[in-house]
Order: sequence, then C-alpha cells, then structure tokens
Amino acid sequence: MRHSKSGRSLRNCCFVLLLSISAMAGAYELPADPLESVMWENMAKRFFPGEVVIDQRVIVRAPLDAEDQMQVPITVDATQLENVVEIIALADLNPIPHILTLHPVRAQPFVGFRVKLEQSTPIRVGVRTSDGVWHVNGVNVGAAGGGCTAPALAHGNNDWYKTLGQTRAVTRRESVDLARLSLRMRHPMDTGLAAGIPVFYMSKVEVKSADGVALANLDLFEPISENPTLTIKPLVSDGITELLVYARDTEGNEFEFPLAVPATVDN
Amino acid sequence: MTSPVNAVNTYNRRQVLALLAGSAACACCGAVHANKLAYDLAATEIARGTWAVHGRTEYFTLENGGNIVNVAFVEVPDGVVVIDTGPSRRYGEALLALIEKTVPGKPVLRVYNTHHHPDHFLGNQVFENSLIAAPQKVIDNINAEGDGFTDNMYRLVGDWMRGTRTTSPGKALEAQSEEIGGRRFSLYYLSGHTSADLVIRDDETGVVFSGDLAFYNRAPTTPHADIDVWQESLSVIASLDKELILPGHGLQDKVGDSLVQTGDYLDWLQQAMTEAASRGLTMNEAMSLPIPPRFTTLDVVDTEYQRSVVHLYLAFEDDLMPLIEMK
Repeated sequence: MRHSKSGRSLRNCCFVLLLSISAMAGAYELPADPLESVMWENMAKRFFPGEVVIDQRVIVRAPLDAEDQMQVPITVDATQLENVVEIIALADLNPIPHILTLHPVRAQPFVGFRVKLEQSTPIRVGVRTSDGVWHVNGVNVGAAGGGCTAPALAHGNNDWYKTLGQTRAVTRRESVDLARLSLRMRHPMDTGLAAGIPVFYMSKVEVKSADGVALANLDLFEPISENPTLTIKPLVSDGITELLVYARDTEGNEFEFPLAVPATVDN
Repeated sequence: MTSPVNAVNTYNRRQVLALLAGSAACACCGAVHANKLAYDLAATEIARGTWAVHGRTEYFTLENGGNIVNVAFVEVPDGVVVIDTGPSRRYGEALLALIEKTVPGKPVLRVYNTHHHPDHFLGNQVFENSLIAAPQKVIDNINAEGDGFTDNMYRLVGDWMRGTRTTSPGKALEAQSEEIGGRRFSLYYLSGHTSADLVIRDDETGVVFSGDLAFYNRAPTTPHADIDVWQESLSVIASLDKELILPGHGLQDKVGDSLVQTGDYLDWLQQAMTEAASRGLTMNEAMSLPIPPRFTTLDVVDTEYQRSVVHLYLAFEDDLMPLIEMK
C-alpha cells in the first residue's frame, strides 16, 4: 500500500510537472486571426504569451483608410472587460510594431492615441486580464506608405527643442468617480528610421493622484505620432481633485505637471 | 493614336494569355483591363453656349476613375474657354473629344484651373500649356503638392491614371478680368477651400464657376480648408451679380442654395469640432458624432465627415486645449 501510494503521488507529481511544462511550451492553441495577418503567430508569440482569445468586447476604433498616415487616430475601449491589468497596442506591419502599453492601475481600460503607419496594417490590441488571459481584437487600416520613415514636422523648424514637452490638456469629470484626461505634449517622436535623425521619443507617461497613488502608467514607443495626443480615463473615486502627470523621453528629459479635476460632473 | 491599349483590342484571348505569361506581362495586364476604361462624359447645356460636364457625386474609386468633378466649357465668339480639366490624362482626352463634338472646329483659347486638387487639374496635359491659366498661388500649390496627389490618385483609381503627369499652368493670372475670344470673364481670387481658389464669372451669361468653394447635395471636402476664410469667400460669391452657379461638385444652382448649404455644413462642422475638442473626445469619438438630419441626404457625407475630422481636429485641439504650466 505504501508503495502504491507513493507511486500515485509520484504519478501525480509527474502529471503536474507535465502540465506546467506543456503550458510553458504553449499548450494553449492560438486562435485563427480574424484579420488574416501574416504576422499573427509572430505577434502573439512575442507580445501575448499564454492563453489568447479573440474577444469582440475589446473595441478598437480606427478609420478604414488613413487619411493622414502620420496621424492615424485609434481608440481602444475594453470597459466591457473586468480586471484588466495591461493593454498592448500593435501595428503588425510597421517596422516597429509595438505602439504602446497601458497599465490602467486605477483607470478605465480605455486609451486614445494617434499612430504613424508605414503601410496598410492590422491594428491589434491585446488586453490582459488578471487571470492571465489575453483578449485580442483589432482592425485593418489602409495606408499609402511612408509614415514611420518620414522626418517629423518639427525638424522643419530650427528651434523645435524650445517647445519640447510643452503640453496642452483638458480634464473633465465625466461622472462622480471618473475623469477624462486628454493631453498633447510637443515631441518629435523620432523613430530612428528617417535618415540622419536618431531615435528620440517620449517613452513614459504616468498619471498619479496628488498624493502619489498610481492611476495609469503608459509606455509609449516609436510609432506614436509626433506631439503625442493621449486620452485616458482615471478613476477619481477617492475625492481626487488633482492629478499629477510625469513624463520622460528616451534622452532622460523629464516633464511634470499637475492637472485640476473639476469638482462638478460635466457630461 | 496607336497605343498598346488599341493593339490589345485586336488580340484573341489565347494571344493575350500568352502575352501575360511572357515578359510583357506587367505592361500588358493593365492594358487588357484598360479595354474597359472609358469615361462616359456628357455635356449638358446649363446656359446659352455653356456646357457642364457633371461628375458623379462620389469619392475616388477604381470604378469611377476619378470622374467625380464638374468641368465646364463655354463657347465664345472666337473659340472655347474650359474650366478645370478633370482627374487624369485620359479624362482630358475625353473632354477634348467632347468639346470638339459639341462645338466643332472651335479652338480652345483658355483653360482655367480653379485650384490645385487633383480632380480639377490632372487633365491639363492634353491642352496647350501656354493657354492654361491660374493664380500664381494655385500654380505654387500644384508645384508643391501635385506629384504627391498624382501618386495617390494612381493608388486610388489605378489604371485610369495611366500616362498622367503633373502639369502646372503656363500662365499666372493677375488681372481682375480678361477678354478671351470676344467674351469678358471676371476673375475672383478667393480662398478657404484651399489657400487659393479661383472663381470665374462669364460676364455675358452671368454664370459663376465657383470651383470647390460651393458643393451642392454632396458633402464638402476639407483637406486644405480654412473654414472662417471659406465662409468669407461664400459671402463674396453670394454678393456677385449672377444668373447661375456651377459648383465644383453637384448640380448647377440658380438661386444660391449651394452657397447656403455649403456654409451651413461648414458651420456645423466647426461647431461639432469645437464641442468635441473642448470635451477632450478622441478623434474616433468625434468621428462617431451624429450627423444632423439636414445633412444626411448629402452624398458621401459619412466618409467626408470622417475625413474632415482628421483634417481639422488638430487645429481645434490646439485652440481649445489650454496650455499647462510645467512644475
């Protein structure tokens, strides 16, 4: 009996071990790509490790055709999902696909931004919930070509650096416990792909409450359009009346400013 | 004219397939398709001796070949005056043939380009360059952006564009009016739809060719628009002594409805953008705002409105989002 018991526990052990090995080796089957992109497996392997499901509750809004491929507007709304930990936005066929990552620590899983597109591409968004599952959805956007390899407009102006980081912002209280923050920061967002212009972009934007509690953390990457324009929706349930924004670029320039949240709801 | 297009007409299917398989494949596959590509242009007499060539009230497609624009020609005592030349060389050729059919034997004496958008000037190539006239600023705009437009037109409408090259006008206009072949035309140097919009009035018939400052039952386009300036230009056109307006897109208009409608739409656009930008809406949210019922009957209003958001929203944000003081 003893022998058999230990045998069973050994078998159980092996079974658990096998399970975890197979999980590591990608036991989760990758669903077919509704956007039929040649890059799907590659993108999923690189950015969405673990279980992936195609989920229509991840709403990705973008124009069918890029009217201005230097400023293609994208809005991601995953508010139908609960316990969202991380949102990653990708442009499969851009030379640099990773657009941004949002950790909506105390914010709605919602983000608006604009992106440079090098050619027609899927815009793909993965939303990771606290159970580790990636909920993925996206749209195809048509574009003529050349968005990432063209120099920023700022370089037409010799003293562009004088207004580096200059910020415009609108903050509203959309409901008792929800704010909307839209901001634009002057930055060339150089991809490093335009001849003679090294990579230089705003890489981090953090939004905190006045007492330093993290609300939303954004990592931005090269495809984000010049003068990044971002919209996020921080939760302001604890009587928060002021937000602090901290931003940093790849050269270590830091920008910090407070934004008042109006006390009254305006919708 | 002998061209590969005509040559292919005489081949049977097997010969064409053989050609496709051979080294001439690339030159040929377009040509086979090109068999079917012909602009079906018709001239409508909208005033005495004045013909409009109406385009479809659509956006550029592979089917319409860019024929979405109104072009016009006027018979004057000694010849013909042409207003705008269409989206491609092929269109220009069809236009010339139509003019010759309508007013046989009369030479083209003047060709005006109202502004630098590709559907209005890419037929220039087929006309004698010294006869093509536009304000200097229109010529500058064509020189600066014409090649980019031409490339984009190849992408949007494909083989219809074959052989089309950017051709800027040979003559810069300055005068307030000019006499062409025994007829006086008044010239108005306006802007707002683009940075230079020429409006032409035939002083004899009172027909005003408004270019794209007026649209009629077709949503206005705004890639280079300055709405405030555009509204001023609409007032100028409204104040002109005139009998008829031929808008750049849509049917001719006797009483000025096209001006009212265009102004009303631009007003709404401005209000919608102002409201959206001051609320911090994303561009995509702004694009989903409801279009008022009085505009939903305008052709292609959904797509033009979305394009307009992309064209205009950044400037509204710059105006309406306050500057923040850094710590």
